[in-house]
This record gives sequence, structure tokens and C-alpha cells, in this order.
Amino acid sequence: MNSRILLLLSILATSLQGQTPDHKRAQPSPWERSVVTLEISRKQYDYYQPWTRKTSRAPKTGLYVGDHQILTTADEIFDRTLVRLQKGGRGRWSLGEVSWIDYHANLALITTSEEDFWRDLNPATLGGTVPEDGGLQIFRWHDGNLENRRAEFTQFTVREGQLAALNQPVLEADSEIQGAGLGEIITSNSHALGILSSQEGRMCIAIPATFIQNILEARKQGQYHGLGYFHFFWQGAQNPASLARLRLTGAPRGVIVNSVPDRPDAGEQVIRPQDVILTIDGFDLDIQGDYVDPEYGNLMLENLATRNKWAGDDVKMQIWREGKLTNIVYRLPKYDYSVSLVPSATYDQEPEYLILGGLVFQPLTDSYLQSWGNDWRRRSPFRLNYYRNDVPTQDRPALVLMSQVLPDPYNIGYQDQRCLVVDKINGKRISRLADLREALETPVNGFHVIELMQSDSLRRIVLAAGDSEKEATGRILKRYGIDESYHFAGKVN
Amino acid sequence: MGHAADPERSVIQIFTFSQQPVWDAPWRFDAVRRMGGSGFAIKGKRIMTNAHVVSWGRQIIVRRYQDPRPYVAEVEYVGHDCDLAVLSVQDSHFFENLDPLELGELPKVRSAVVTYGYPAGGEEISYTRGVVSRIELEPYAHTGNRRLLTCQTDAAINPGNSGGPVIQDDRVVGVAFQGMAGLENAGFFIPTPVIQHFLKDIEDKHYDGFPFAGLRVMPLQNPAYRNLLKLPDNDLGARVDGILPIPSTEKTFKFDDVLLKIGDFPVASDGTILYRGNRVSSALAFQSVQAGESLPMQIWRDGQQMDLSLPVSAYDGDRAAGYQYDTLPRYLVYGGLVFTPLSLDYLHTLGRNTPEISIGEMYYELYYRNFEEPSKMRPEPIVLASVLTDSVNANLRIRGRALLDQVNGVKIQKLEDVVRAFETCTNDFDLLEFLPHHSFETLERSEVAKANSRILKTYGIAKDQRL
Repeated sequence: MNSRILLLLSILATSLQGQTPDHKRAQPSPWERSVVTLEISRKQYDYYQPWTRKTSRAPKTGLYVGDHQILTTADEIFDRTLVRLQKGGRGRWSLGEVSWIDYHANLALITTSEEDFWRDLNPATLGGTVPEDGGLQIFRWHDGNLENRRAEFTQFTVREGQLAALNQPVLEADSEIQGAGLGEIITSNSHALGILSSQEGRMCIAIPATFIQNILEARKQGQYHGLGYFHFFWQGAQNPASLARLRLTGAPRGVIVNSVPDRPDAGEQVIRPQDVILTIDGFDLDIQGDYVDPEYGNLMLENLATRNKWAGDDVKMQIWREGKLTNIVYRLPKYDYSVSLVPSATYDQEPEYLILGGLVFQPLTDSYLQSWGNDWRRRSPFRLNYYRNDVPTQDRPALVLMSQVLPDPYNIGYQDQRCLVVDKINGKRISRLADLREALETPVNGFHVIELMQSDSLRRIVLAAGDSEKEATGRILKRYGIDESYHFAGKVN
Repeated sequence: MGHAADPERSVIQIFTFSQQPVWDAPWRFDAVRRMGGSGFAIKGKRIMTNAHVVSWGRQIIVRRYQDPRPYVAEVEYVGHDCDLAVLSVQDSHFFENLDPLELGELPKVRSAVVTYGYPAGGEEISYTRGVVSRIELEPYAHTGNRRLLTCQTDAAINPGNSGGPVIQDDRVVGVAFQGMAGLENAGFFIPTPVIQHFLKDIEDKHYDGFPFAGLRVMPLQNPAYRNLLKLPDNDLGARVDGILPIPSTEKTFKFDDVLLKIGDFPVASDGTILYRGNRVSSALAFQSVQAGESLPMQIWRDGQQMDLSLPVSAYDGDRAAGYQYDTLPRYLVYGGLVFTPLSLDYLHTLGRNTPEISIGEMYYELYYRNFEEPSKMRPEPIVLASVLTDSVNANLRIRGRALLDQVNGVKIQKLEDVVRAFETCTNDFDLLEFLPHHSFETLERSEVAKANSRILKTYGIAKDQRL
């Protein structure tokens, strides 16, 4: 068989695969020229063995929004090694690069320098309104075809973001689509109403287009500095006795502040416990803590920290304090993953560790705790998890964990110890691996004295310092197949 | 030594009709449960069984071997920490021709034993044969927070066997008492040293309990640590790594003391002692004497050997952290709000829908505060267990499962503080603050005063408090 016949057969086979028997191909959707496929390859870390690397590859959906930019969610794009783009659901892949990513808002823009890719693509229009019957469509490329699934609008509400513990507006819709939540486009007629960020059963959760537009616009203007939030705890005022005790007259309204932690930016503390917040930026708050949003309807007040406001912006509040109306200006602090003593995420950063004579030290982070699987909040060690309730202080900005012991004659007697939080080493307080490394330079009378946090577990470990330590570390690295005795995220001299 | 009885004739079938309190509605009781167990006659016209067979018993019925007649029994002594109880029977006919079983010694590992009892699956006595697989300290599930000497056997021990004798050479070498989920062919029995300790304890007609030193003893096997403490490089000595706030223990020991000998038992570097041929945790040595006695100790401190004496006693400072019996839970109902002490029993009433943050706060308070911040430990943390809905509290957002911090500015250390805080308040409102984040609720006192008796009547509560 010559090569020409082979080629013909191949073309015939391809065209047969693409046809649906007994059905004419549907009219091409205009979304075919706006929706693209992304393929993200990224590193995956095993926090039990922080020196190991794995890679994974995941498909995502992107939306062409003009200016050679593809919009998608930031999810699955962290720790990336390769980004590729494909239009039309088939054919050639183009090399992509991330032109902007924001993990707090869970948004990213991808571009490519390959001019051919942009040919025939039409920028989508973000925005639009939910039709009266609530009927929406979800689009993504699937097996070479543009999958179009019906969805039914449920509500706009406020939820914690997918990649940050920040409340943001979301659109919720019911659909039978499966495995969604990776940037699929949810539309109404010719408008993209949002991009899907997650799915819980049949409920699809999307980042609304107007929220995205506001951020993209502010970014263009150089005004976007990340998302802000309200750094205080409040409760609804459903109990009239609580408002009566605070001598608030008139109809029940507002929410009551119950706790105000220190601001992470050390800014002025303008709000106090037992303040009743009545309005924010002119929006009246009801006793559940909701306001009427002109675009989304009833939403929780937390959205007023992200409604066209960014970190560092001011919001005006009318409050009831000690029997009087008062106006205050609250500056929104920037969200930081280190707002908890246990940082909630460490994106684009390889796991840090340090091995001392077989004792493995790591920062205590949510990423580490997530090694316990999907139900990690219940399955991970209680005491480590409970540190997540604590806030960093000047004395203790973070925690270092002795996560495990790689057994060796040098560390005999400690081989069963694990998941212990370090307090001091050689008399020096330890909050970061850099502290630990520094403390190891000054052993006490030839010993490393490792003090662990006072709890229901071991309090002290003593190891020999000096040559035996160095020999043991070298021997252990070799035996357990580990290249380096430490890896720090920052530069260590 | 007396004549050994035919074991099966001395094995007793026990039926307990028990009623446990409802820990989040402490004035109520669960439905009556019928529980089958076993026991055996011992000297002094008594029946020995497990504490868990008779706990919360309203009526205990006992039957002799192949005797259809039921007799009523009473609990004479109970040791919840060691899961043992001694019963008496008023009707003297019960003990006629009933030979008490004799106690034997601690059986050897690999030796054969036979369990006797009335397990589920039939009405007649059942025998199962096995060998002693191992002997060590294990948690006793009845309270959940004590570890005592235990024998493991491959003889089947099933529900209903509890309290029955484990026999070797016609003598009792143990009392069958628990299994372990996930382990096949493994049952556990309470060996004679524990039984004898219990029987000696009650000789003064009062049960004190097993001594508890409150020391966390860690192995001392790393040469560097031994060098630092200037300790000889041998296999002796384990390190004191934690001391619970028990006065005699706190007074006697220091952090990093090395235990060389407890009583007559040399302490090995892995924290064990050799007890009748079995290597077991050194905690056993503290249990070898009775509460109130002193234990001679040999320790290593500051590079020198020292002799000490440790007065030991039973410890109930961690009572709430284990399952509780005999004493009904304390409570206060005020404005429909139900307050009760935080306890393991209470935690078990919480469903999976309880917010993680609430469970975490309570769990920390119960199990970690005493180790980490003993000075901030509340003697009796109090929870808002539930809210009995009434117009006076219908608007409250917090409906229970919350750890109470303050009431009317009074920091709550125990239930009496809650009572006092409500009684002494002179404001129009009661302010209740909860952990964490100081979430709060307010009650209008004049309305509460009107509502209290109405709520008690509606919910059928005879008394608003049990202190």
C-alpha cells in the first residue's frame, strides 16, 4: 500500500469519526470562536516527602476576551510548568504564558505569542443579565465538540473563594454537566455571565462577569492591588434584646461586631466590639447582615469589601456606638495567606524543608495538612489543625514542624516521633526554617537541644552536634535517596 | 488454699436494665436498655463482674447456672477505672451450694485459658478456649482514659461474655471485658493483679481507685541525651517529659528527672519495667500500691542518683475527659438555655453538623488546656448544651453546642458561676459571651423571669437545676 492511499484512508477515518450518524451537524455556535481549551502541566508536591516532585496535566477552559488575552480561573495554574492553548477543540496546540494571575480573586489571563492562534477568534462580551426564565448555557470543548449544557440559574450569593478564604460574589446554577469548575463559560444569549470555579453535585458555582470586569478594568487603570476584606467578626442582630441592650432606637437593623483582632497592616483600628454597623457605603444592612445589591439582589455585607473596592480602599460605615450615631472610614486591609498562624496557601512555591540528622523540619501550612486528603480538616492531627485558629504575632509569626524522623543510629530513640511543633532550638525561638538553620549554628555544649511546644506530646529532643551530625545527615540523605538536606523558598546565604 | 469449684456452676448470668442520662438534656434519661452480661461467685457471698455490665443499672437480675429463678442483685462496690464491680444478693438462698471461685495468678503468655459466660447468640453458658497472646497496659474502654494491665487472648470474647471468668487450672485468672474493633480473634481480660488490687482497695469498705502519678515518661535511648544528663550508657532510666498538676507529683519531680527504679521495678531506657516476665509500661509500677501509700523511687537528677518517696493517689482531675458514671450530670435551665459541664459524654451527643470550630474549641478545652496552659484551665468548663425554644429565646442565633466564656461579665469557671452571674445581675439584660470570637447573646431579664416556670412546665422539667 503506498503512502497516498494511507493518507486518503486516514482522512476518511477522521471525517467519519467527526460525524454523528443520522444527525446533521448543528449550526456552528458563535461561542466556538471564543471558547478555547487550555492544558496546564504543573508540579505536584508530596508534603510527606517534600523533596519529591510529581507532575500532572489538566485540561481547562478559557474565554477569549480581546487584546490577545484568554480569561480563566487561577485554579490549577499554580506551580505550572507548561501552558498550552487550543482553539476549535482540536488541532494544533500553541504555547501559552500567564500574563496575569490573581489567586485571591481566582482569575488569570493567558496569552501566546503565536499570531496564528488569534486568527478567527472573536472576543466574548462579558456581562449581561439573567433571563427571566433563568435558563443559561454552559460551554466547554469536549472530545473535539463544543459541549453545550443547559443550566438553571439559582441565585447570586457570597461564598468563600476557591483559592482564598475571602468572601466573594458567586453565581449558582443547577446543571447536569459533570466534572465542571475549571473555567467553563456560563452564558445567557450572547453574553458570558461568568466562568465556573467549582461544582458541588449539580450545583455549578461561577465567578460573575461583572466582578471579573471590575477587577480587569481596575487592573488596567493600575488601581487593583488585590482584594481587601473586613478584618473583624460580626453577628446578625436577629435578637431584639441585643439591640435594646445597645440602646439602638428605631426599627431593628444592622449587625453587631463581636470581635476585632489586630489589623494585619498595623493600621488604625476604627471599629470596636459592640459597634452596630448600620450602613456600608450607603447600603443599609438588615439584621441578617445582608444588603440589597443593585446587580445581584440580597447579598451578605462581606461583598461590600470587594464590590468595586480593593485592598487599601476606604469604605464608609455608619455605626451605632455607645448610644450615638457615628461615621467611620474603614480601610480595607489586603488579604494575605499568612493572616492565620498556619498559612492557608503557598502557591508557586516548592515545599520547604530542612533535614537534621534524619529529623525532617517543615513549615506548618495548610498545604502540609492537606496531605491528609479531602477530609483533611477532620483527619489531620487535631492539635496541628487547631493552630489554624491562632493569629501570627511578632514573637511567633509562623510555626515550624518536626514532621517525621528518617531512622538512623544517630537519631535512635526518636524514630517514632512525628508532627511536633518546634518551640526553641539551642535556646532560640523558632518560627521559620531560617531561624532553625541559624540556631543550629550555636549548639549548646556540643548538643542540639530541640524544645517542642508544650502539649500532650514529647517536649525535648537532644542530638549530638558537630561531626557526628554532619556524617549522619550525609548518610541519611544517601540512604533515603534525597538530593539536598534543605530547600528554602527564599535565598539563604 | 480452698477447694476449687466447678467453674460453670459458679458462673452467673446477669441482666441489667439500665437507663443512662441524656447528656445534652440532663434532666432526662434514655429509654431503659436490657443488657446481658456474666459474672462469677467470689468469697464473701459476692458476685464479681464488670463495672460496665451494671453501670446506670435500675434493676439487676442474676441467675445461677441452670437455675431458672431470677434474683435481684445490688452493686456493692464499683471501680469504673478498672471496670470491675462486686454485687450482693439480698436473698440468701442465692448463695446456697454456690461455691466461690478462687483467684489464680497472672497467666503466662502462650498458656491456655477458657472463658465462661453467657454471650449473645444463645441462652446457655458458653465456653471458649484460647491462649494468652500478650500481656501489657491497654486503655480500658469503660472510662476511656485509663490504661491498666490487660491480657489479650484469642479465645472469643463477645458481647455478653463481659464480667465472666477466664479460667486456668480451675482458678480465675481474669475477667473478660472488651474486644477491639479491627482486631480479629482478639479479646481482652482483666488479669488477677488488677482484680486483687480492686478487692484489697474495698477492704476498708470504700473504693479509692488506682493510683495515677500524672507523669509523662519518655524513652531515653539516644546517646546524646544520655550524655547531656551525664547518665551511664546502659539500658536503665527513662525521662520525665511532662508533669500533670497533681500536687504530690509536682512537688516530687522535675522536668528531665530520670526514673531509675519505681518501687522494686528497675525502669528500662524504653520506659518499661519487667513485670512477672512481661515487659510492660512503667506506669504499671505506680499502680502496684494502693492509693494513699507511698512509693520508694530512685531517680537521676543533676548528674546524681537520688532516692525519693512519692505519695500516690487516685486522680479525678481528668474525670470529664473520660466516660462518667453514677453521678447524674449537673445542669441549669435559665430562660430555656440549658447549661451543663463540658464532658466527653456531652461531646458524644454532638452530630456531624456541629460546626468544626465549636467542636475544636471544646475538644481543646477538654484535652489540651491542662497540658498547655494549666493556669488558664477552668475547673469545670460550661457549655450551652441546647436551647428549649420559647418566645423568650426564639430570636437567639446561638442554639447550643457553644462553650461559655462569660455571663454578665463573670468569667465562668464552673456551673455555680453561671447561677451566681444570673442571680447577682442588676441590669435589665443578661449578656452571655461564648468562645471563640466572643459571639454573644442577650436576654431580657424581666421576660426571663416570667418565662422560667412556663418553660419548665412545657418541657416537663421538675427542677431548673442540679448542682
